[in-house]
Amino acid sequence: MLEVQLGPLGSASVFIAFGLALYGAIAGSLGAMRRDARLQTSARLAAVAGFILATAAVVIMQAALLGDDFSVSYVANHSRIASPIWVKVVTMWAALEGSILLWAWLLSGYTALLAVTAPLSPLRPWAISIMQAVQVFFFAVVAFLANPFTVLPFPPLDGPGPNELLQNHWMMAVHPLLMYLGFVGLTVPFAYAMAALITRRPGTEWMAQTRRWTLTGWGFLSAAIVAGGWWSYEVLGWGGYWAWDPVENVSFMPWLTATAFIHSVQVQERRRMLKPWNVLLIITTFSLSILGTFLTRSGVISSVHAFGNGPVGPAFLGFFLLVTLAAFGLLALRWDDVKDRADLDSVVSREGSFLGVNILFVALTAAVLLGTFFPLIVEAVSGDKVTVGAPFFDQVTLPIWMLVFLLMGIGPLLPWRRAQQQRLGRNLLWLAGAFVVSGALAWLFGVHKIYPALTVALAGYNVMSLVLLLSGALVPRMRLTKQGFVRVLRSYAGESRRRVGSMIVHFAVIVVALGVAFSSGYRVDEQVKLDFGASAEFSGYTLTAVDRFMERTPQRISAGAIIDVSRNGKPITTLKPRLNLFGEAGRTVPTPAVYYTASHDLYLNLNSTVGPDSTFVVLRVVKSPLVTWIWVGGLLLALGTMYSLGGNRRTAPARAAAEAHEGANA
Amino acid sequence: MKIGRLLIVALALALLAALFGFGLLRGSPDRDIASVLVGKPAPVFDLPLYERYQPEYGASFALADHVGKPMVVNFWASWCLPCYEEAPELQSFWSEYQDKGVLVVGVQTQDKDKRREGRDFIGRFGLTFPNVFDNDSQVSVNWGLYGVPETFFIDAEGNIVGKHVGPVTVEALKTNVEALLR
Repeated sequence: MLEVQLGPLGSASVFIAFGLALYGAIAGSLGAMRRDARLQTSARLAAVAGFILATAAVVIMQAALLGDDFSVSYVANHSRIASPIWVKVVTMWAALEGSILLWAWLLSGYTALLAVTAPLSPLRPWAISIMQAVQVFFFAVVAFLANPFTVLPFPPLDGPGPNELLQNHWMMAVHPLLMYLGFVGLTVPFAYAMAALITRRPGTEWMAQTRRWTLTGWGFLSAAIVAGGWWSYEVLGWGGYWAWDPVENVSFMPWLTATAFIHSVQVQERRRMLKPWNVLLIITTFSLSILGTFLTRSGVISSVHAFGNGPVGPAFLGFFLLVTLAAFGLLALRWDDVKDRADLDSVVSREGSFLGVNILFVALTAAVLLGTFFPLIVEAVSGDKVTVGAPFFDQVTLPIWMLVFLLMGIGPLLPWRRAQQQRLGRNLLWLAGAFVVSGALAWLFGVHKIYPALTVALAGYNVMSLVLLLSGALVPRMRLTKQGFVRVLRSYAGESRRRVGSMIVHFAVIVVALGVAFSSGYRVDEQVKLDFGASAEFSGYTLTAVDRFMERTPQRISAGAIIDVSRNGKPITTLKPRLNLFGEAGRTVPTPAVYYTASHDLYLNLNSTVGPDSTFVVLRVVKSPLVTWIWVGGLLLALGTMYSLGGNRRTAPARAAAEAHEGANA
Repeated sequence: MKIGRLLIVALALALLAALFGFGLLRGSPDRDIASVLVGKPAPVFDLPLYERYQPEYGASFALADHVGKPMVVNFWASWCLPCYEEAPELQSFWSEYQDKGVLVVGVQTQDKDKRREGRDFIGRFGLTFPNVFDNDSQVSVNWGLYGVPETFFIDAEGNIVGKHVGPVTVEALKTNVEALLR
């Protein structure tokens, strides 16, 4: 058989992709400066060619992983013959080198898509060049610093396999992919914002052209964070989904600033205000995503998420500093062009509430940033080692979240510019009523903790806000057209996708908030020791340890306990919490078993090893209410975002008319 | 005005750079965890030797029988890439130091039932120092291994005096062993 050397082939693809990105960045900017259409076109072609080469590199990596080619260093270091096919496929993003390749590939894909589909505008050549400049960095890392295609002189016969925690759940196939799609998606508005600064066109053009990209990136990032939480819940065995770990925080911060951004761009679209603020937010979002990668890949901050250290840390630090200096420096130079000319007419207006929610999101970002970096700052200044844990983050962020929910309800009901007293008064009355009634109901049903009770009250208030919004839009139409509710709703939902999408997303946020408030406020967590054959009571359930079991697949050995769960004498389900042992390295991964219901989860995790001669089992039993709501809410949020993006592109005048209407009908 | 704004940006960034630079230079806080075993007697083991060493050392190798000379105990596995890097280094160190009364022992561990792969590994690098097979990884647990490769240095009294995590080089081996020979 003809031996194909995958390593050199892969390296060659990456090198050429690097060269094409470099060429595109230079040719594109020169073309933009000289207004030379041919140079601009050649840069766009380079973007497409770069994507083809990057795709080739990814295909080669997959071929090496699936074909167990251990002469390729990445395969030798992170893959294993016995792994099932899906694990081999996702091994590409289970470790540093491969995940940067994935990132570079997605980035080149977005750039190529932009090069093909973006409408012609003075911003386009610059935006594509900036995307290519970012690509230059990523491909340089893949090619020169962390090349996964390095050929090994002594290929081993088998490898250690990917990190056990990652093989243990299929969600790990999805979470990093979503994360990178989010980060890369948010690179597009960043590139356009930079283009707007360079060309001194800080108007709404750059946002209008990137609205879909921004929403897509934000949607992916949101989904990634929820997916990461679910993975942590299903795999880590402590019955939680969010620990304020530095690695979680660094993915959360760009999400917070991006959330602020998608709200504040609407103010600029409608009222030509907040121009510098929007540029600032998108630069910060992009910088934070690079900063996060630096932190997670360099070991600067200790975290439970162990990623490999290496030369990549300093490179990402350098890139972060360069990007931040260039972007903020450019903003400083162009400040006089960007400055707002309009002023806020009234705080009690749509733009006022958007501004308020922006301040809150920035405050949240600042709190998370401070908590994450505080240990490093203290160590740099005094040499002491301190840790900042969940209590700090909870105490600081919870009150801010409550204010966010408060504004989330009232904001969309306020008209642009200035609210009319009468209408506002009536709406406020309804909202306050819903707040009081749902809060009182929660209290009556035994919710006596402050944040869960407040969350229920605010959830009622927000649902009322959605009802008011919908009825405000639908009732006049029903009167006008004399059509039924369902028909009017359907036509409204088709016409005002943006509006309806945002309503779905806001509703999803409420669902998630309730899930978080109750699962953290009312969780019951106990350790239970059970002899085999014996039963124990736990929070209304009877747990019976029936037997132990052992399963062997080529990739892993599982040993665990079979626990029958019953309630009031009626059998409900059988749970099998286990320990999974992957590969030869002998690392065991506790794998919890969860009984999901709409109102609460029963979560069992093994706290003792189970062998053929064990006579007992120690279980960690957690009952947490409404956890499922978080995952359902996350899904709903993604669907809402998709709804908002979907549909036929309307012609520009029709869209403008519809949006003017959307703005006015609140 | 412009200069002023640029200066503010530059200053803020310089602060950030200093902070993160400090973080990078300080190194990872979790690395280099000292082994609790250093200074204590090496946990003994008695493990089967690979066939090629049996004429010289017998069917199995008991650590306790060899106390009295400085030893280098190296843990490896057939799937472990850095082990492929260090194997020639260990062999070259061994060929130089075996006449100075130093014993090098290789322990294949965390590699259940991989005898064929172990033989292939030993053959590929022509390892002439004794290599044993720790099939159920018990020894790696007793010695508190974080992973493979790890290399322990043991003095003539049988105490662990040092530990090297990750692939070892001839220089590192010499530095550690010379101290024991003095």
